[in-house]
Amino acid sequence: MSHHDVVVVGAGLAGLVAAVRLAEAGASVLVLAKGVGATHLSPCTIDVLGYDPEPVERPLEAVARLIAARPDHPYAVAGPAGVADAIAWFTGCFEDGPLAPYGYVGDGAENHVLPTALGAPRPSAVVPESMAAGDLRGGGEICVVGFRTLKDFYPLLMADNLDRLDGVHARGIELDLAAEGRADANALGVARALEAPAFRAELVAQLAGRLGADERVALPAVLGIADPHGVWTELQEHLGRPVFEVPTLPPSVAGMRVYATLTERLRRAGGRLILNVVVTGADRSGGARVTAVRARVGLRDVVHGADWVVLATGGFASGGLELDSRWTVRETALGLPVVGVPTPGAERFHPAYFDEHPIGRAGVAVDGEGRPLEPGGGVAMDNVRVAGATLAGAEPWREKSGDGLSLATGFRAAGSIMAALGVGAGATAGTGG
Amino acid sequence: MARVRAEVLVIGGGATGAGVAWDAALRGFDVVLVDRADLASGTSGRFHGLLHSGGRYVVKDPVAARECVDENAILRRVIPDCIEDTGGLFVTTPDDDPAYGERFLAGCAAAGLPAQEIDVGEALRAEPRLNPGIRRAFTAPDASVDVWKAVWSMASGAAEHDARILTYHSVVGLHTADGTVTGARVRNELTGEELDIEAGFTLNASGAWAAQIVKMAGIEGIGVIPGKGIMIAMSHRLVNTVVNRLDLPADGDILVPIRTVSAIGTTDIRAADPDEIPVTHAEVDQMLDAGERLVPGLRAARALRVWAGVRPLFQDEKSGATLTRDVTRTHAVIDHEARDGVRGLLTISGGKVTTLRLMAQDLVDAMCKQLGTERACRTADVRPPGNERGEYFRLGTRLREREATLGEEQLICECELVGRGRLERTMHRRGSVNLDDMRRQLRLGMGPCQGGFCIYRATGILHAIERLDGPEASASLVQFLEERWHGVWPILYGDQLRQARLDDWIFQGLLDVEHLPAAVAP
Repeated sequence: MSHHDVVVVGAGLAGLVAAVRLAEAGASVLVLAKGVGATHLSPCTIDVLGYDPEPVERPLEAVARLIAARPDHPYAVAGPAGVADAIAWFTGCFEDGPLAPYGYVGDGAENHVLPTALGAPRPSAVVPESMAAGDLRGGGEICVVGFRTLKDFYPLLMADNLDRLDGVHARGIELDLAAEGRADANALGVARALEAPAFRAELVAQLAGRLGADERVALPAVLGIADPHGVWTELQEHLGRPVFEVPTLPPSVAGMRVYATLTERLRRAGGRLILNVVVTGADRSGGARVTAVRARVGLRDVVHGADWVVLATGGFASGGLELDSRWTVRETALGLPVVGVPTPGAERFHPAYFDEHPIGRAGVAVDGEGRPLEPGGGVAMDNVRVAGATLAGAEPWREKSGDGLSLATGFRAAGSIMAALGVGAGATAGTGG
Repeated sequence: MARVRAEVLVIGGGATGAGVAWDAALRGFDVVLVDRADLASGTSGRFHGLLHSGGRYVVKDPVAARECVDENAILRRVIPDCIEDTGGLFVTTPDDDPAYGERFLAGCAAAGLPAQEIDVGEALRAEPRLNPGIRRAFTAPDASVDVWKAVWSMASGAAEHDARILTYHSVVGLHTADGTVTGARVRNELTGEELDIEAGFTLNASGAWAAQIVKMAGIEGIGVIPGKGIMIAMSHRLVNTVVNRLDLPADGDILVPIRTVSAIGTTDIRAADPDEIPVTHAEVDQMLDAGERLVPGLRAARALRVWAGVRPLFQDEKSGATLTRDVTRTHAVIDHEARDGVRGLLTISGGKVTTLRLMAQDLVDAMCKQLGTERACRTADVRPPGNERGEYFRLGTRLREREATLGEEQLICECELVGRGRLERTMHRRGSVNLDDMRRQLRLGMGPCQGGFCIYRATGILHAIERLDGPEASASLVQFLEERWHGVWPILYGDQLRQARLDDWIFQGLLDVEHLPAAVAP
C-alpha cells in the first residue's frame, strides 16, 4: 500500500490547486481522479462573484457581504482575505508555469465585464490575459470573428446582442477557414490549427481591409493550446489592434491551459496524478480519522494510505454528489453526509427553469477548517478537507462563483493541512477563514 | 379580414387531423387544416409510440382489438418508414395471474391476432433485461411508430394534393348560417392576424379539445373525457421488443422501444382541463415502480424525460362509465345533424394512433354521405411521402447516413445525429422561430443532453436563417430551455440530474442567458 501525506480526490480546479500548493510546500501528494476535471468544461475565468443578485462590480467586497449574509456559504470557509490570497497565488502559478508568459490578470478588487458567446455581459474577476481586452466597461467597437468550421461559436448572433449594450458597437464576421481540413471542428481542433503559422496568416489575410480603425477583435477562445501567449500576441501585432478570446462551449481550451499549468507544476513538485481511479470509500482507525482511501481501478480495488485527504470531486455535475430515483443523495467518494436535500415528498425542483431550486445548494457542510460535518454538527472526518463544488451552500452558476469557490476553497484546504503539517506558507498564512 | 375558401376545413393537426386531411385530399377534396400549434404537438406527440397489435384489448375490448389487428397490418403497408418492426411480447410477471394467458389466447383467436406462446427462456434470451421471474410469454405483432414522422408524412401528402396546412392557427369561432356550420374564424398565433375560412364542411378532429370547438356552434354535452397518461423516456433501449404486461390494462404496463429510447407508460387519470396536465413526483415514482416489474433495475437506468398526454376518450353517455380506462377505446363519429340539428359539422372522438387511418376513413365517409357524394377512400393503398421505399425504419439508418458525410457536414445534434444541412433546410422550409418545432420534426435536442449543446448552435443558425435580431433569437433559446425543463424536472435524478447541471453550467455559467441584452422576459 502506498502512503502519502495527502491524497487529493478529484482533478478539477479545487483539487489541483490544493495538490499543487501542498506539493510545493513539500508535502507528498497523490491526486486520484476519475478523469480530467471540470477545467475542460468551464470557461476558466475565475468568477469570484458575478451577481448578488445584482451585477457585482467589486467582488472581494461583495464576498465579505455575502459571508455576513449567508454564514453557511462556502466562501465563509475561505474568508475574503483567503480569496485574495488564493487569487494572488493562482496568478503567480502562471508566471513560471509551462505556458509562461501566458497568464491571468485581475486581483479580485474589480470585476471585468466580459461578453459571453451569446453576447451577454458577464462579470468575472480574474481572467486570462487573452480575454481581458473584451472588457465591456469602457464600451467601444468590437468585430466578432468566428469560423464557419467551428459550430460552437456564432459571431453574428454574439455581435447582434453585444451591439445592444450601452456604448458598445459590434458586428460579426464569419470566416470560411477550415481547421485541419474539416467542416466540423470543436474548439480544441481550431486551437491546434491556430498553432500553425500558415493558418494564422490566412486568418490575418482574410481580415485584411475588413476591420474599422477603432475596432478590437473578438475570437472564440481557441487562440492556441501549446503557446497561447505567442498566438495571441502575434495576432494582435499582425492585426494591429487588441484581440480577445470569448469562452464558448466545451471543450474549454482556456481550461485545458489551466489544467496543463497546474498538473505540470504538480509534477515538478514531485506530486503524482492518477486518472481513471474511482475512490469508493475511506478506511478509518476508529474515531473520525481516515487512514487510507479505497479506490477502484478497472476491476481492481486498491488502497492508498494517507495522513490527510482533500475531497474535491465536484457536485452533481461532476459525479461528486449523486441523487437516486428514491431521492437519496450520496457523496460518492467517502460517503459523507449531505445537507440541503429536501425531504422525500418535498419539492426538489421548481417547474420554472430560471427559479432557484430547493435542491440547488445541496452539498457537504464543513466547519471553518473545511472539515466535513455530521448532521448534528460534529466533525465527520477529522483529517479530511472538502473543497470545490462538493460544498453545500452555493449556487455557483447563478452567482457566477464556481471557479472562484473552487480556487479559494482548494487553496484554503491546502492551507489548513499545511498548518497542521507545519510546512510552507500555510503554517503562518493563507488560513484567512 | 383575409378570407380562405375550401371544401373541407379540418380542425386539429394531430394524428387524426393529419389522417383526415390526407384522406380527404386523396379523395379530391379541397382541404384546409388548422392547428393552434405545431403538427402533432398535443396528444399525438405525447404518447408512448406503440403501434398496437391489438393484444392489449383482446380480453376487455374485442372491438378495439379487431380494429387494431386490421389497422396495424394496413399501416405497416402504407407508412412503413414511420414504423420500426420491433415485435411485441406479452409477459406474465410474478404479480400476474398465469391463467389470464388462456383468456388472452382466446381473445387473440377471436380477433384474428396471430399471438403465440413462447418458452420463457426464449423470451429472456431475446430480452435479457426482462424480469427473470416471468412465468409466461406470448409474441404479437406490436411495433413502434414515430408519430411525428407519420403526421408530417400525411400532412405533406395532403399538401401535395393542394391541401393547405395552417399550423399555429387557432379557431376563435365557428361561422354558422341557417343551422349549418360554414367555416371558422382562426387567429394566427404568431402574428395575431385573423383569417376567415369559408368551408363547405367542417371536420372536428381536435381530440381532447373537441368539446371546446363544438361549443362554438352552440353544441353542449359532448362526452369527451381527457384521460391523462404520463410516460417516461428512458435514455436507452432497455428492450428491443415492445413489452406488455399480460393482465388487464393497468398503469405502467407497457415498455416501448422507440428510436433511441424506450418509453414506459402509462397512467390513466381523469383530467379536468386538457391544457393543465402537470406531472407529479408521485406519478413518476408509480411509473418507475411499475417499470421495475417488467425490467428490474429500471430505477437505476437513466430517465430522460417525462411527459403527459390527454387521451380524448369518447364517453357513451348511456353507459355511465366513470373510469376513463373503462371507456371503450374505439372511436366514434358524432353526427351533429342527427344529434344537435347542426349541419356541415362532424366530430371524431376517441380512438388511438394505431387506428388513425380508420378514424379518418370513417369521418370522411360520414361527410361524403351527408354531402351525397361517393368517393372511395384510398388511404389503405396509397403511401404518403417518405414511405416510398416500402421498408421499415431501422434504428441504424440515421447513423449510416451520417457516417457517409462525416467530415463534410457539421453534426449539430450529436445525440440524435442531426446534420447542419438538414437543420437549415427544415428551418428554411418551416419559417418557424420555434426550436421546439425543430425538435419534433428532427428530434433535435431529444437525446441524452436534452439540447445542452445543440440548442445554442441551433439558435446561432436560426438567427442567421430567419434573420432574427438578438432578442428574438434569445427568446427562441429561452423558450426551448423552459419547455425542456418542463419535461425533465420531475425525473431529475441519477445521470440525468448530472446532465441537467452540466446544461445549467453551459446556459447559466458560460453563456449567462439570464442576462442577455433586452431578452424577452422568461
